[in-house]
Amino acid sequence: MQWIAQGFIFRHTASPYHQLDPRVKLLIAVELFTLALLVGSLLEVAVALSGVFVIAGVSKILRRMSRTLTYTLIFAGMIFGINLLVGYPLIDSMVIAVRFIAIVGSTSVFFLTTPPDELELVMKWFRLPRDLIFAFVTAVRFVPVLMMDALQIMDAQKSRGLELQKGNIFSRFRRFIPILIPLIVDAVIRSGELAEAMESRAYGAVKNPTSIYVLCVKRRDTFATVLSITLMVPAIYLFLSVI
Amino acid sequence: MIEFSSVDFEHPNGVMALRGINLQIRTGEVTAIVGENGAGKTTLVKHTNGLLKPTHGKVSVFGVDTRKESVAHLSKRIGVIFQNPDHQLFSDSVENEIKFALTNFGFQEDVIANRLNWALNFFDLEKYRSTSPMLLSGGEKKRLCIASVLAWDPDVTILDEPTVGQDFVQKERLMNMIQMLVSQGKTVVIVSHDIEFIWPLQPRVVVMAGGKILADGRAEDIFRNEEILRKARLIKPQLLDLADGLRVKPAGAFPNVYDAKRWLIHRLKSE
Repeated sequence: MQWIAQGFIFRHTASPYHQLDPRVKLLIAVELFTLALLVGSLLEVAVALSGVFVIAGVSKILRRMSRTLTYTLIFAGMIFGINLLVGYPLIDSMVIAVRFIAIVGSTSVFFLTTPPDELELVMKWFRLPRDLIFAFVTAVRFVPVLMMDALQIMDAQKSRGLELQKGNIFSRFRRFIPILIPLIVDAVIRSGELAEAMESRAYGAVKNPTSIYVLCVKRRDTFATVLSITLMVPAIYLFLSVI
Repeated sequence: MIEFSSVDFEHPNGVMALRGINLQIRTGEVTAIVGENGAGKTTLVKHTNGLLKPTHGKVSVFGVDTRKESVAHLSKRIGVIFQNPDHQLFSDSVENEIKFALTNFGFQEDVIANRLNWALNFFDLEKYRSTSPMLLSGGEKKRLCIASVLAWDPDVTILDEPTVGQDFVQKERLMNMIQMLVSQGKTVVIVSHDIEFIWPLQPRVVVMAGGKILADGRAEDIFRNEEILRKARLIKPQLLDLADGLRVKPAGAFPNVYDAKRWLIHRLKSE
């Protein structure tokens, strides 16, 4: 569990992909996402998935992405099983399941290579409302915090004799109540404290606050944009023409 | 008895939290585990009830290898009280919160009723019996956490940073509770930075730094060793510092800090 939780914590990595402008990373993620959505055959899904893994490899996040994709693999297995059960052919069921992995992988690549600060800058660039940006970025920042909290709560409850792995699926679900309640209460308390701390530091005092960092496109960003469009747009066009 | 034999522990992110730990915690002993943040203190105590299993080496608790037993089974003899009360309180009433572990361990109803009443009275929580734990103050929540663990009468009580966020009165209550456990022959392990809280208990002190045991010995010897204190980023207890400054050597264990202070004042007056 902790192994998975660690995967959700953003870490700066010395890779050329991490240094790209976040807008370029978003463009590449959208291209990969679109590619994954349009796949219809095993070959196409292999192309989309390899695109995700090539970028994950270049970004040196393959190991971390494998952690975040652990639950995705379980869901993909369920999707595969359900499709088979309702009568889809084996190959089609596989394509649908692997497509799901490619879709999640494309968004994982973006979130694992883009720190919350850069995410905020991208959203500002899109001129989204400030409160919405703050809420979204805070939610992203809190995912690993909540996961680590959940692990600590599980430790505390297991130390009081709670056995999470015992019984059938319903009793196991019931056993998670002592985990979920402190987690939710703690999150509510934390959000209240955060709101007070933000207001104490003049959040919302001016309509248009200044920003320390400004996004600027460098030569490597232009190169990455041109390269991604050159490779992805024909692939998307090909996939669309097959449909 | 808890025994660590050449224990290494590596976190999933590759960080080595414990390196070659050899430690024996004997029955009836009060042990304080001290050290700077990230020294591996909490990781060490999480091995005692099997929450963490060693990467290398062996941890045995009353002769049982922790790798071969469930956390629930080990927890019946090892009660761990965690730092943050908000990480464990979930029931709709104080009564049910204390009952939670007792029912998990399968105690009989009459035993549960007895233990519940003892815990409510001893920790002065009787008036909150039907109150939601969420409505209690910080100190009351901490007391409830301790009550919910001591209710099943574990042989070993481990307190992880028990004094964080506690006022003077709560610390005094904690001190009394630890002394009560010691008088009953129970084993107590305290993980803390709070040297002033630890010093009057005169425990065995285990100093940790960088996942290793830096020193292990009597409180008086450890807290007088300037080099160990510097390496572990600790400071000498004020009373000991004052006594050393006055070239007066405290003799034996003090039941509490006030007795130690009274003793020092008496010595000063007599000299």
